[in-house]
Amino acid sequence: MRPRLFSSRLEPAQRRVYRAVLVFFLVVFLGMIFPLVSVFSRVHPMILGLPFFLFYLTVLLLGSFGVLLGLFLWEDRTGTSGDPEEDAL
Amino acid sequence: MTLGYLGISLGVGLWSGRKTSKGTEGYVAGDRALGFLVLYFILGASIFSAFAFLGGPGWAYSRGAAAFYILSYGTIGLVPWYFFGPRVARLGRRFGFVTQAELLAHRYQSKSLSAVLALISLIAFLPYLTLQMQGAGYVFNVVTEGRIPNWAGAAIAYGVVLVYVFRSGVMGVAWTNTFQGMFMMVLAWSLGLYLPWKLYGGVGAMFARLAETVPDMLKAPGLGSDGQIWTWGGYSSAIIISVMGFSIWPHYFMKIFTARNERTLRRTVVFYPTFQIFLIPILFIGFAGILSYPGVEPADAILPTILMSLDLPAVVIGLFCAGALAASMSTGDALVHAAGSILVRDFYRVVFRPDLTDDQQTRLIRFLVVVISGVAYYFAVMSKISLVALLLLSYGFIAQIFPVLLAALYWSRSTRAGVLSGLAAGCAVTILWNLNPGLQWQEIHPGLWGLLANVLTLVTVSLATPPMDPEHVRQFVVE
Repeated sequence: MRPRLFSSRLEPAQRRVYRAVLVFFLVVFLGMIFPLVSVFSRVHPMILGLPFFLFYLTVLLLGSFGVLLGLFLWEDRTGTSGDPEEDAL
Repeated sequence: MTLGYLGISLGVGLWSGRKTSKGTEGYVAGDRALGFLVLYFILGASIFSAFAFLGGPGWAYSRGAAAFYILSYGTIGLVPWYFFGPRVARLGRRFGFVTQAELLAHRYQSKSLSAVLALISLIAFLPYLTLQMQGAGYVFNVVTEGRIPNWAGAAIAYGVVLVYVFRSGVMGVAWTNTFQGMFMMVLAWSLGLYLPWKLYGGVGAMFARLAETVPDMLKAPGLGSDGQIWTWGGYSSAIIISVMGFSIWPHYFMKIFTARNERTLRRTVVFYPTFQIFLIPILFIGFAGILSYPGVEPADAILPTILMSLDLPAVVIGLFCAGALAASMSTGDALVHAAGSILVRDFYRVVFRPDLTDDQQTRLIRFLVVVISGVAYYFAVMSKISLVALLLLSYGFIAQIFPVLLAALYWSRSTRAGVLSGLAAGCAVTILWNLNPGLQWQEIHPGLWGLLANVLTLVTVSLATPPMDPEHVRQFVVE
């Protein structure tokens, strides 16, 4: 049996949402480590008084918060659960 | 001021325990009834350890942007919970798990796995807890200008912790962390904005000055402990290991079982980054010290040093002292509580006394809470063994549990022999690389090599051994 990341009980459209979120966090993760981070690791331009790199990390932090919040609200609105309960055992 | 804080902590801690049931499920998992706000603070405040007010500014002060690795891993560290947390909580409810090892040992039908995980946790907890105690003693000592020695400071702070953990279990940890967490937030922002303003006229002005004088400290990978530019390998692998370990630290992971329901759990993960934001002002403090207070040794003393030099009113010093103690205690209490629970549930009960009743377990956990605090206290004030090396090792160890958990929930073909040999290989490689600096190419964290060995072994051995009973496995794995 092939390992699954998301329950087969999810609709394909729902699964796409979860896959997109997972890819987003993978990109954030890769954006924090070498080699990608070296592109953003700069002092200038300074934004809002912060060195560019610290600003970049702050954006990643707020972005991650935003995406998770979006996912959470979407689940609430559509009544989706990322890991629906199997039928009673 | 500080005494007032300690008094309130004690009061909150004792009051919170009065409602839970008497059994272990109440003492360890709060009857699985914790709501969003409490869970949010329990997680947030456990992460804000003594490190936050001493180590965090210390890193920014002596190593600049290297400290940003903390900010990085915290951003996504808890995200895995959003995906596997609800399933873990559900399994806990169905089978009555209250610790991480119980879940994994049941999945793989292995008592040895339970014992191994318990030992890994304890090895990892002890240096961590000891550092929290040292931090508490240190704060008392610096702020009273040596009038309260380290040993007495640590004893006072952890005496209070002991009382409320002993009495109230996880509810004591939860409600004191809520109080301590709010306190720390306020303190972090006020100090983080006030000090740059006082010393440079503002945060922007501070960074502008630093950009002219020490630009290398404002971009990754920052400086190494030797003051030279750090390696990308060291910086990146520190992030990778911490991200893997973050969601898996056993005292953390256990808190999944305390959530009232899945929605509460998800919501906590969503809002977790808002706690993480408080690291930013904390790091400002360290940066503020670079030009104004050169040469402070040890670097961790930078915040108390700045505070004591500014002739601030006693109230502010008292507030800082209470905040730093809150940081230390809110982590220490979770560790003591988890260590006692794990030692009884996952080790003693599994290996020696399967017939232990619920009441006896709770009593034994309480007893061990006292013993473990005593041992950590001994290391904190009496022993001269260096803990830093041990702490590095412990992060490497904890990260080894991550592939095991993923295999347990996502890979039905993984077997008992596979995960046991994977863990063994991972820990062995981590130790070996730790002991041989020659192997540490590009300063890559030993735990990362361990993870590589771990995953390879886990997969190979699992495929070479017969699959486990599919009916049993189905209950755990996503399908």
